[in-house]
Amino acid sequence: MTKQPMRDRPSGFGNPWLQLTLSVVCVFVSEFLLKRGATDVAEPDSAFSWTGINGLASPLVWWAILLIIASFISWLYVLRYIPITIAYPLSRVVDVLVPLGCWIFLGEFISTLRWCGIALVVIGLALVAKPVAQMEERL
Amino acid sequence: MSFLAFFFIVVSLLSFVVAQLVLKKAMEFSAKSGLHNSRFISLISMGIALMTISFFLTLGLLQRFDLSYLYPFQGLSVIFITLMAATVLKEKLNLRLTIGALLITAGILLVSLS
Repeated sequence: MTKQPMRDRPSGFGNPWLQLTLSVVCVFVSEFLLKRGATDVAEPDSAFSWTGINGLASPLVWWAILLIIASFISWLYVLRYIPITIAYPLSRVVDVLVPLGCWIFLGEFISTLRWCGIALVVIGLALVAKPVAQMEERL
Repeated sequence: MSFLAFFFIVVSLLSFVVAQLVLKKAMEFSAKSGLHNSRFISLISMGIALMTISFFLTLGLLQRFDLSYLYPFQGLSVIFITLMAATVLKEKLNLRLTIGALLITAGILLVSLS
């Protein structure tokens, strides 16, 4: 289904699907650290704060940056082995995880419409992932 | 949402999409020609620079809006990246992947609009 070879990919820790999962987990955690960090040091009245650079005053933002770098390295590795038309949509599972996390950890409200959106994303992810799963089984 | 907020959301999104395509190109290139060549280094630097711009703009936006409201705008990147990878990087795109990408985008938009 894709021109790029997926057979000669490494296994174990070098497995690109494992790296994709690690990348998603790092992004998920970093989003919460960023939100907490950015809120802690927020200066909504200052025009300079539109650049976001004042966010660096928060240690949580620095932890988030470390996780983002880790996820970035995993992601580059993923890009080497998996076509971006498959890898990128799958990486957006984080867009379901983040609102769910906001609901669970930050007490933010999820409306019915938002739940419907989350359901659509899950169906879309299943569509993208199914041929990959079948392909993996055949190998 | 003010015009300024919209502007920063769009710039942040565009720099992110272009960054991903440039990085994919860089990694494809590295698979063939290794990591120690000027073309790979310039592509990866460009990708990282664009990601950095997108990151700081997002940080500025996060100071003003809820994460659950703001974050899903990145959902639009799914359809942009999928279509641009098919046209610019010549990746194969079938009906199933296209519908999957469209559903993910629609779902993320619904989450952000609700």
